[in-house]
Amino acid sequence: MSENYGEIVIAEYGHPQVEKPEGREPLGVLFWICVGWIGLNLIGAIFANVLPLENPLYENFTAINAAPSLHHLFGTDEIGRDIFSRVVYGSRISISAGVGSMVIGFGIGAPLGMLTAYRRGHFDTIITTVMYTLLAFPAIVATIAVLSFWVPRDLFKIIVVIGIASIPIIYRIIRAATLSVASRDFIIAAKVQGASDRRILFKELLPNVAPILVSFLIIGIATVVTLEGALAFLGLSVNPPTPSWGNMINEARSVMAQNPWLVIFPSLALCLFLLCLNFIGDRLRTHFDVAEVKI
Amino acid sequence: MSDSASKLLVVNDLTTTFATLGGPLTAVGNVSFDLSKNETLGIVGESGSGKTVLSRTIMGLQPRRNVTVSGSVLLNGQEIVGASEKAKRKLWGTEVAMVFQDPMTSLNPVMRVGKQIDETLRVRLGMSRADARARAIELLELVGIPSPERRYDAFPGALSGGMRQRVVIATALACSPKLLLADEPTTGLDVTIQAQILNLLDELKERLHMSVILVTHDLGVVATRTSKIVVMYAGRIVEMGSTREVFTNHRMPYTRALLDSSPKITNPSHTRLTTIPGRPPNLLNLTNGCSFAPRCAYATDRCRKERPELTPAGEPGHLFACWNPLMSNREVGVS
Repeated sequence: MSENYGEIVIAEYGHPQVEKPEGREPLGVLFWICVGWIGLNLIGAIFANVLPLENPLYENFTAINAAPSLHHLFGTDEIGRDIFSRVVYGSRISISAGVGSMVIGFGIGAPLGMLTAYRRGHFDTIITTVMYTLLAFPAIVATIAVLSFWVPRDLFKIIVVIGIASIPIIYRIIRAATLSVASRDFIIAAKVQGASDRRILFKELLPNVAPILVSFLIIGIATVVTLEGALAFLGLSVNPPTPSWGNMINEARSVMAQNPWLVIFPSLALCLFLLCLNFIGDRLRTHFDVAEVKI
Repeated sequence: MSDSASKLLVVNDLTTTFATLGGPLTAVGNVSFDLSKNETLGIVGESGSGKTVLSRTIMGLQPRRNVTVSGSVLLNGQEIVGASEKAKRKLWGTEVAMVFQDPMTSLNPVMRVGKQIDETLRVRLGMSRADARARAIELLELVGIPSPERRYDAFPGALSGGMRQRVVIATALACSPKLLLADEPTTGLDVTIQAQILNLLDELKERLHMSVILVTHDLGVVATRTSKIVVMYAGRIVEMGSTREVFTNHRMPYTRALLDSSPKITNPSHTRLTTIPGRPPNLLNLTNGCSFAPRCAYATDRCRKERPELTPAGEPGHLFACWNPLMSNREVGVS
């Protein structure tokens, strides 16, 4: 067979496009530094009670408002609690709020968005109308309102409320991403090869939507960590003395003049975490985009 | 036409109507034709003449809403019009497969090309991973892709347009369909690659004993590769017959106009191409008359008021719809 196409072989080989090197440009050192920092944060959050840390609630009255030292890496607060330990324990609350609510948001919003974009029809019309109606409602106000009245507040309730509030936005983004893929010929091609709907959703659509999904998930987590900080600042996060980055900053506000370390360290932790997360999300998005543009 | 057993595809009085905001739009109207085994049929027409809707209706691919299909499409004795998705899914791939217009969008950009072929093999034919891979490489070789083992692992983005269309064809052939529907398979390709792809389709048809429907707007494409031609205008068949007959003894002025508007090698250089005046009609406000009448040089009052039905011409199987047909070359004594 192939000998019939001898001349084509030459022609096609001569084409500069054919021998494109496999793989994409590397993600860069900065990307991996960010991944390392996030990894470190996660390890701290997960293993906080196994690590050799002081009890974050222990009030050591012999060291009040101490400056950073070898004994207390980040110093102590106005009632002698170790700030380093509180920052690490605080990451637990902040990160679980971010990850947990995004698990809820994406767990519901993403499959729904993909399904409606693929199936279309009345189902799509109804769900989309509902979601857009919810979107028109200011999510922050709703979150604050619900959290103000749903007492006693705990991490679980915060995760549920933010998670639900994020569904419409996630739904809209994933639906739009899926729509742009679902109308392409290869979906019809898969269909007329006899692929089932489930197969098309998982094997054809999902890999095409995945880059957007992953990068948005990461940026979503960063957003919720900020949101938790903002809620804590308003006194709507977990109740003290449990530390979270947000409520540490909030509590430190009043003693900022005497002990600025109290504000600096949790703010720095929050800031670096967000910076790294956003950078990773952004880098991943452009990284996957390169491959998309060439096709 | 008497032995319907030898007919692979029988389309009878097929009408596809879309419900639009402007009212019902008949994209395909009262289309009937048939196709024997191992035969190639060309469907020709301008953009918007209903070729693509016709081929998708034959596949049984319609949007879920706002569309009504009447008539019948019998594929190997099985009715497609009104069949359930599940029933159609059984036919797709094994009985009928489709090659799409644009190879840039008809392959999944994030799946290796080999995988796109052997997915089908594994799902539809229940092949093992290794068997499917071997068969996929065989198919890639069959469609003339050099070093298929290496191309198996390539992403579509790494292949040129012609190569991608070959992969699309290989995917369509995976389950050895009896009918291959090629909807403008070469429109997105360079002219040199076009000929290669068309020759490939022709050769595969012979080797695999398939029937092929070639949908195109380019008469040059169908001239040497089809045995029958259907000419469509505004969703209806205006002339059909054996390729030879349609090219030499066409009776419908539209067919003549289409033929005249393709460049000929015998023309002196810098000859202006003949074009058909006017534009295809808006399918939403068709008159009762012949839809070509507004653009036709031979149109009379009757053409504008009454729609001509398909009537037999000299040769069996040659039909045309026209009140003022052109003289057959046989009648005028040319040939």
